[in-house]
Amino acid sequence: MLMIRSIIRPEKVNTVLTELMLAGFPAVTKMDVYGRGKQKGVKVGDVFYDEIPKEMLLMVVNDEDKDDVIKIIMRNARTGEKGQFGDGRIFVSPVLEAYTISTGKKGL
Amino acid sequence: MKEVMAFIRLNKVNQTKSALAENGFPAFTCRKVLGRGKKSVDFSLVENILQEGELPLSPLGEHLTESTRLIPKRVITLIVEDDQVEKAVETIIRANQTGNKGDGKIFVLPVQENYQIRTGEVAVDAY
Repeated sequence: MLMIRSIIRPEKVNTVLTELMLAGFPAVTKMDVYGRGKQKGVKVGDVFYDEIPKEMLLMVVNDEDKDDVIKIIMRNARTGEKGQFGDGRIFVSPVLEAYTISTGKKGL
Repeated sequence: MKEVMAFIRLNKVNQTKSALAENGFPAFTCRKVLGRGKKSVDFSLVENILQEGELPLSPLGEHLTESTRLIPKRVITLIVEDDQVEKAVETIIRANQTGNKGDGKIFVLPVQENYQIRTGEVAVDAY
């Protein structure tokens, strides 16, 4: 099992969530986050913004579904054809165990 | 060291808090999240209801028909020693189980190092 944390633009969340649902990955958690990236934030005129609002999508999937999910997020969270700075990042980390509380059973 | 992440119902936070404290896990982080689970909502049903006029066409009704409808949840994160994982998971399950869908999920993730900011040391019991 792998946890996929993707930090994306807030305006792209709806598209990504719909596409994930259509592709058969309904289970997602969303949280509001603020941060900056490699570009050190955004400079507008003389003002520097380094706490840019983003949304973090968190999902846990089976190993074999990882590539599909990443492809879907990548395709739908991009701005324009080639993408722009600030489109976000995707991190993948291992998950050792998963439990469903309602049944108490192990596994996704 | 392991990170235990539990996605639970809003109204179970207090019970979980006291259950964890009683079982020796006083330290944890809680935050508000929105999410959806495996159980997919059939939105055509909602649309039918809306068309028949049973549900008022309010902003709430519109919100219900959105395909990306998310349910508010709380996520509790705690860092525990390897041999304590089982106990922590059991405690959370016991405090949150109602037997219905939507009770939540628990994930266990590995943690490599932890530092205590106050002392700047790699602390064994920093959590």
